[in-house]
Amino acid sequence: MSAPQTFFTMGGYAAYVWPAYAVFFIVLIADTVAPRLRRRRVLRELRARLVRQQARQDRAGSNSIPTPPSP
Amino acid sequence: MSNWIPLWLHKLGSPPTFYRFAGALQPWAMTLALLLGAIALYGGLVLAPADYQQGDAYRIIFIHVPSAEMSMFIYAAMGVAAFIALVWRIKLAEVVAMESAPIGAAFTFITLVTGSLWGKPMWGTWWTWDARLTSELVLLFLYLGVIGLYHAFEDRRQGARAAAFLAIIGIINVPIVHFSVNWWNTLHQGSTINVFGQSKMSWDMLWPLLTMMLATKFYYAASLFRRARTDLLAMEGGKDWVRKIAADEAKP
Amino acid sequence: MNRPGLLTACTAMLRRDLTLAWRRRGDIAMPVLYALIVTMLFPFALGPEDTLLQRIAGGVVLVTVLLAMLLALDAMFSSDIEDGSLEQLVMAPQPLALMLGMKILAHWITTALPLIVIAPLLASMLHLPGAVIPVLLLALSLATPLLSLFGAVLVALTAGTRRSGMLLALMLLPLCVPAVIFAAGAVAAAQQGLPWLAPIIWLAAALVLAVVLAPLACAAALRIALDA
Repeated sequence: MSAPQTFFTMGGYAAYVWPAYAVFFIVLIADTVAPRLRRRRVLRELRARLVRQQARQDRAGSNSIPTPPSP
Repeated sequence: MSNWIPLWLHKLGSPPTFYRFAGALQPWAMTLALLLGAIALYGGLVLAPADYQQGDAYRIIFIHVPSAEMSMFIYAAMGVAAFIALVWRIKLAEVVAMESAPIGAAFTFITLVTGSLWGKPMWGTWWTWDARLTSELVLLFLYLGVIGLYHAFEDRRQGARAAAFLAIIGIINVPIVHFSVNWWNTLHQGSTINVFGQSKMSWDMLWPLLTMMLATKFYYAASLFRRARTDLLAMEGGKDWVRKIAADEAKP
Repeated sequence: MNRPGLLTACTAMLRRDLTLAWRRRGDIAMPVLYALIVTMLFPFALGPEDTLLQRIAGGVVLVTVLLAMLLALDAMFSSDIEDGSLEQLVMAPQPLALMLGMKILAHWITTALPLIVIAPLLASMLHLPGAVIPVLLLALSLATPLLSLFGAVLVALTAGTRRSGMLLALMLLPLCVPAVIFAAGAVAAAQQGLPWLAPIIWLAAALVLAVVLAPLACAAALRIALDA
């Protein structure tokens, strides 16, 4: 048996060793990706809020109506 | 002269400073984690010889033991942060405690799954009610309880304090569970398993294991920094420094 | 606060909670009914063989009582939070931990005591030998206050949240593992004719510790959960 082949068969234990490593990497990759996605979402919501605030201020300025105190 | 350390720590506790500090360190920690992890995997999967008793199945040890160690290390780190958060009410400590919990839960889950994948060929069973395994399962439930309690509150900071309290109760609980399950096993005369009995590992097997332990530590630091940064952005949404970051990242 | 004042406050607290519970007697019956139903289902699921039922009887009764208590745990402080009397209690000059201890005692009397009373019935439904029943009762009377005390801390922690039923179960599970192990261990040892005193003494030691520490932890948890 050639060297790479013994590496992949793991002496007959491939069915246990490789899934274990797969779980290790999948869980850690998920742990890495999740905060990235959350960060993107948080920033997007924040920008949307800023845009809304800006629009409200602009409208209030042009109509010269006393602005209600923003929360 | 000697008070620059408390001053520096005090400054680091402020969210914008920590955000910058973590942002600067995070890529380095992640690079080190990947580098050390790759070396450890090469050493463990390719260079290390097969075990004379367990064959190649023992190679699961290179991820199982570091994960198990991390599951407890992170719980201890979370407990320390929780204690600081409860006593001094530092916002950053709350963030660190609460963002450690999902990472710890991930490592605990990995430990349980890899352990049962190792147990099947070695002991002939996926699961056994031995003290170490049961404690690990209880640890997973503790992590899930902390995460669940944190998210059950409307107010994030209040949730963080309640969950921090639960984390501290858990620290007292884990040794009690370990002891009681040990007692229970001797009563039931269960199958006694001692996988680490032949503990004298050769250096060829030991160095990849130690390297992997170091790699997972760096991974924890990197992941914690990433999570804490995101959490700070979400918590401090109304502040100027966050608005600036949001505005800067709008134009790519 | 002088001593008689404290004592009066304690008895007043206890009497108030017991009166409130007595006015809603139906709620007291619910956990008992639940325990009866669950115990009744086991022979149907496992078959009516005496030996099998005998072997599992102690554990089944313990777990059933635990689940029935968990069912009632959620309601420990909920009505007091709704009508604001818990906030009054936090403000009161009497030590909060002591007052909460009285509330826990009242809750134990109204939920766990009826369960302990019907435990012999549940055990004999599963053919547990009569000689083992006193040990079972002893184990239950030590393990149930332990669960009430642990449960109270967790209920206090979730006091500020909306719905907490499943979360409570998730948080209680790790805490009640040792209590279940020792209580069931005592019953199993008695059933096998082995000395059963050691686990009972462990339970008693844990109970003494919990009686002292849990009300304090409960008060601290309540302060965290209510301060918004």
